Parts: sequence; C-alpha cells; structure tokens
Amino acid sequence: MRAQYAWRSLALAGLLAFVGLSIILQMIRIQTSPEAETFRERVATHAVADTTYYPERGLIYDRNGHLLAGNKTVYEIDVELKNVKEPNALAKAVGTELGLNPDDLYNLMVKPPNNLPYIVIGHYVDEDKALALKQLTGQTDEQTPTSEQSSLSGLVFTPHPQRSYPEGALASNVIGFVSNDGHGYFGIEEKYNDLLAGTPIQVKVPVDPNKAADIPQIPNGTTLILTLNRDLQAATEQILDDSLTKYGAKSGTIVIMDPRNGEILAMASTPRMDLNQFLDYSAIYHNASEYNPAVSMPYEPGSVMKILTMAAALDNHTVTPATTFFDTGVYRIGGVTIRNWNGQAWGLQDMLGCIQNSLNVCMAWIASQMGSQNFYGYMNRFGIGHETGIDLADEAAGRLKVPGDTDWYPADLGTNAFGQGVAATPIQIMMAASAIANNSRMVIPHVLYAMVRDGRQFNVPAQYAGSPISTNTAQVLDQMLENSLQNEASLALIPNYKMAGKTGTAQIPVDGGYDPTLTNASFIGWGPVDDPRFMIYVWLEQPSTSIWGSETAAPVFAQAAQKAILLLDVPPDNIRSQVAMP
Amino acid sequence: MIRTIHVIHYAYKQAPWRIQRQWISSFLLIVLGLAMIAALYLDVSARAALTGRDIQDLSANIIAIQQSNADLETRIAELTSNQAMEKRAQALNYQPVQANQVQFIIVPGYIAPQPANLVAAPLLQPSAPTIRPEFTQSLLDWFDQRLRTPISVSTLGISQ
Repeated sequence: MRAQYAWRSLALAGLLAFVGLSIILQMIRIQTSPEAETFRERVATHAVADTTYYPERGLIYDRNGHLLAGNKTVYEIDVELKNVKEPNALAKAVGTELGLNPDDLYNLMVKPPNNLPYIVIGHYVDEDKALALKQLTGQTDEQTPTSEQSSLSGLVFTPHPQRSYPEGALASNVIGFVSNDGHGYFGIEEKYNDLLAGTPIQVKVPVDPNKAADIPQIPNGTTLILTLNRDLQAATEQILDDSLTKYGAKSGTIVIMDPRNGEILAMASTPRMDLNQFLDYSAIYHNASEYNPAVSMPYEPGSVMKILTMAAALDNHTVTPATTFFDTGVYRIGGVTIRNWNGQAWGLQDMLGCIQNSLNVCMAWIASQMGSQNFYGYMNRFGIGHETGIDLADEAAGRLKVPGDTDWYPADLGTNAFGQGVAATPIQIMMAASAIANNSRMVIPHVLYAMVRDGRQFNVPAQYAGSPISTNTAQVLDQMLENSLQNEASLALIPNYKMAGKTGTAQIPVDGGYDPTLTNASFIGWGPVDDPRFMIYVWLEQPSTSIWGSETAAPVFAQAAQKAILLLDVPPDNIRSQVAMP
Repeated sequence: MIRTIHVIHYAYKQAPWRIQRQWISSFLLIVLGLAMIAALYLDVSARAALTGRDIQDLSANIIAIQQSNADLETRIAELTSNQAMEKRAQALNYQPVQANQVQFIIVPGYIAPQPANLVAAPLLQPSAPTIRPEFTQSLLDWFDQRLRTPISVSTLGISQ
C-alpha cells in the first residue's frame, strides 16, 4: 500500500518536474529565438524618449548692469474637453479672469474646431492672471466632494519662458525683439541670436519612471552687456521726442558714441515700439530700414560731409588752413553750376571761412583741385559706401558713386564734396569723423561691451579701422571746427566746454531732382575738444519750423551734449586742465 | 563475519527520515538564502529608485527656482526701470539737475565708476553628472561593474 502511494507521488513529482522543466526550456528557447532580438530592439526603442532641453535665453544689460532684456514665466492654458464637467461655469470663470468673452469660450468648448480633444485658450498668459485662475480652480476643487469632478475641471496650465523687456520701448531700435518662435529680429537680438539662444541639448530619458536619469545642466545662452548707458539713452530719446515736436520734424535720430573706442552710449530714433508688444511691428514700421535709421537708412547728409572733404584736402596738401578762395557764388563742374546755400557770393575766404560759412562753391572747388582719384580715395578710406561693421543687424552700406560707375558723372565730384549725391548712414559719418576727433585713429562703432558665459566675462576690445588721415591733419581740422563754432556763435555751443562740430542741411531728392522745401537737418559734433568723451550725431528729417540744420539740429546737439556731460561726469574744461596739471 | 559487517553497517546507517530531513533542511537553507538575496536586492533597488526620484524632484525644483529667480529679476528691473524711477523721483519732488547746478571738485585718487562686471559667483559646471551611480544602478549592475573594473594597483596595497 505504502509502495503504491510512493509510486503515485513519484509520478506526480515527475509530472510537475516535467512541466517546470518544459517552462524553463520554453523560456530559454524564447530568449534565444530570432524573434527575441526584434523584441529587444523594440523595447530599447520605446524604453527611452528623445527629449530636447532648451537653454534659457541670455540676458541683455546696459553698461551699468541695468537689465534691458530678461525672461519671465508665462502660461499656456488649455482645456481638456473630456474632463470638462460644466462648460458654462468654466467659460464664465476663464472669461472673467483672462478678460475673454465667455460666450465665445462656451461655443468653443461645445463645438471644438475639427473635433479637437482640447482647445488652447491662451498661449502667453501673464503669470499673475494664470495663477489667479489656478487658485480659483483649486478652491473649487476643495469645495467639491472627492468622488465628483469640479465644476472648473479640465484646465491645464503649462508654464514656459517668454522674453521680457523691463524698459518697454527704451532702446528698442538697438535691442530688437524675440518673436514667439524664439528667434531674434533686428538689433542685438538678431545679430547675436545664436549666442543669446545657446545650444539646445537632446538627451534620451528613460520612460520607466523608476529609472533615474540625469537632467542635463544646460548652460544658459550667453548674457550680453551693451555699451549703452540706460540713463543717457532715456534722456536722448526724450530730447529727440521733444525736438520733433518743437521743430515739426517727421522723424529723427540721435547717436552718442565715445570717439576714443567706438562704444555707442545712446542711439535714439523714431518711431520706437514697446518691445513687449512686438506684434505691433507691422503697424509701426513700413519696412525694415525704418527700424533703426542710424545704421539702416542711408541719406544724403549734406554739409556734415564737408569735414571729410576738408580733411582729405588738408591731408593731401591740396589746401592749408590759410589757403584763400574767392567765392563768386557759382562754380561750374561737369556742366553743372554749383551755388551756395543762400545763393550768394561770399568773396575772399580762407579754409576756416569755407567751413564756418558752409560754402558749397568752395568745397566743389577744393574737390576739383584734389581730383576725383584723390577725393574718392579718401572717401573710400573714410569708409563712405562701406558698412562700418557695427554689431547691429541690417546695416546698410550707403552709396558712393565713383568714376567708372555707369551712373557717375563729373558733376558728382562737386556735389559729393558738400554731401549731395552721396548716401551715407549717420553711423558711417560718425565712424569717419572719429578719425578727426581721435587723432586720426578711426574707430569701429560697436554696441557690445562684454559677454558673460560659463561664469566668465569677456570684455570686447575696441577695434580700429586704420588712420585715413595724419595726426597733424586731424588736430588742425579739429581746431578749425572748434573755431568755426565759436566764430559763428553756434547754437551748438555749451558754456565751459569747447566743442567741435559741423551742421548739415541737405535737400531731399525727389523724382530726379531736389525739393527745395524739404530738407534733412543734421549736426555732428564732439567734445570736449582736447579730450573727446562723446561724439553726437543729430538728424532731423524734414523739420518744418526751419529747414536749416544750424537752427534745428545744432541746438538739439547742445541739449544732448549737456545731458552727456552730466551723465558721463565730464568736468568743465577749467577743472580738467587743473587735474591734468601735475 | 558477514553478519557482523551488516550489523555494523546498519548501526551506522542513518534512518531514512533523518536523511530526508537533511535534504529538506538544505533545500530550505538555499531557499532562505535566495530569499534574503532577493529581499536585499529589492530593498536596495527600491531605495535607489526612491532616492533617484528625489534627486529628480530636487533637480526640477532647481529649475523652477531658477525660473522664479529670472521672473523676480525681471520684476525688479521693471520696478527700477528708468521710467518708474523717474516717476518715483518726481513724486518725491526731485528735479532734474541742470549743467550749471553741478559743481565739480577735485578728489585726489578718485576712480571713476567702471562698467558692470556681472560675474559674481561661479556658475554650475555645464553637463556635469549630478546623480551618482549608487542611485541609478541596480545590484546586478553594481556586480557587473565590479567584475568588469580591473583591479587597481592601489587596491593591492602597492604604491610608490
């Protein structure tokens, strides 16, 4: 009996062992079968997800550490329609908090377009509004029994960063803006977009929530420190806006640069726009060149070009300051008659008189004495007709016709000498004039002061574009320009500081001719003459109270110079001379 | 003689139940050992996973705090913007200074303010691993790593 049971037990054990062995063998077979590799590959594919981490966009500061462009959190608010319990209540709550029409929201929820499972009711909702709505939904959730859905259920809040400009429209023409797609447009935002945006990193993150994975430490985009002085920029914009009203000008530009190193301290122009409302761009600007006329809009600068003509002639030894010219009021060159700004003859003049009285006839004579090869050679060295290389987007090169061009005529030599028939941007004229203010060293204007990356600050050194004239020529002309302002009692003068400068009044070309009633009024000046700390360019387009630069742009220069003196802490000439003395 | 041998053999032969109990004990000992290893494995894996999750949460918190810092910096910049400060100054009856109201005095050794230097503290090393392997690898991974790691010279106590 006992043996019989033993046999049965053995048989049962054998059967179970057989089943167990079969299972193990089957497992081994499956693990080593050709299909196993396919399954492993599929698992490996779906075990991780490719995730792209975008770095925070670099910040932009002014030279004194004031934030000009930062980042802030905004929310995308969606409605997951399957979780909506009471669309009417939800529409009213959302409409009240976000300022949207509740009826439109209700219709959208009840009849979603293309039967979408969710709808987006706000892409860039301010944090304050989003958190208020979130708090409201939280309170409603608390009051609702756990077994039921809240009346405001279905809302999904997704935070994401957005570019923010704390100063609004300040320096908008220099900074540019970042669109919703994260790309920079215009100014610094476009020019340094790659640096500011940083490098996104793509990593494979395990889908299994229990598998810890490193979240990569992505370096933020490069932070930029600009040469701009925020307070001077604001003051310059204020002066420009007041000037447009005072002189009835259509638009205007004022640029302040340190002529020693090319640092742009302020660059104001109109119109400007609040960078936080960048979608208004197309309503404000008609084309890209209007965004920052200082670098993008070439125009016929008029008499401010005379300082370059005189510099070339002095350097070329065609004239000296003592050279005399008898002005008869007319000068014929290339079959065209050149006349002075007032149409009158000024008699015997030396070169200081030619500059001081801004005589077109004298300048055309000087250019013809130099010859076109010399004249255009100097203009080329001054960078007229070439981009300056300023680190702002959309710089225009202007146009300088030269002998050999199909549209160049001998008369152009005469008109170019006093700034007509040539197109240049304010920044080009400033770069050229920096050679005179800076003892012949011509600076390349720039807006970037330093970059901050990986915990290190890299300051950008000043760059120079050679010396188009000799140091002696620069000093002689500097003195002439100072004397000319003093002699004519220019409105550009300011007490206790010696300034050098030149006005410009240029007729505006229209349909093959010039409109005598429309002018561009300009002024370029710098000071203090013995140690220039600032160079200021003023351009008023079509002033209506007076067409003359000496009556419109010159006093604007004086206002801007006084602000620059205050904000840059430039002592008067007598104090500086005491400091200079041992 | 043969009978004597049988008697001795029988005397020293263990009882069948005794053998059975030995087998069962051995088997249970193996099962117990395996269970202990499994428990240890589960415990270590669970703790590693939990710690890993905690680290991920902390990393997420760091990112959230960085975003919050960026928000606050922007907010401070808005509150101290040129326009806001000008309004505030006007409200406090300040007036813009004019050039003729400023007096300059000579201060020996005065150094004019320099442009901003924004590098105050070193930033995090980019892409430096922050989670140690102890929190990401399983016990088997650890064994595997130990087996594959060549024995270093210093482990053998030989150093120069």
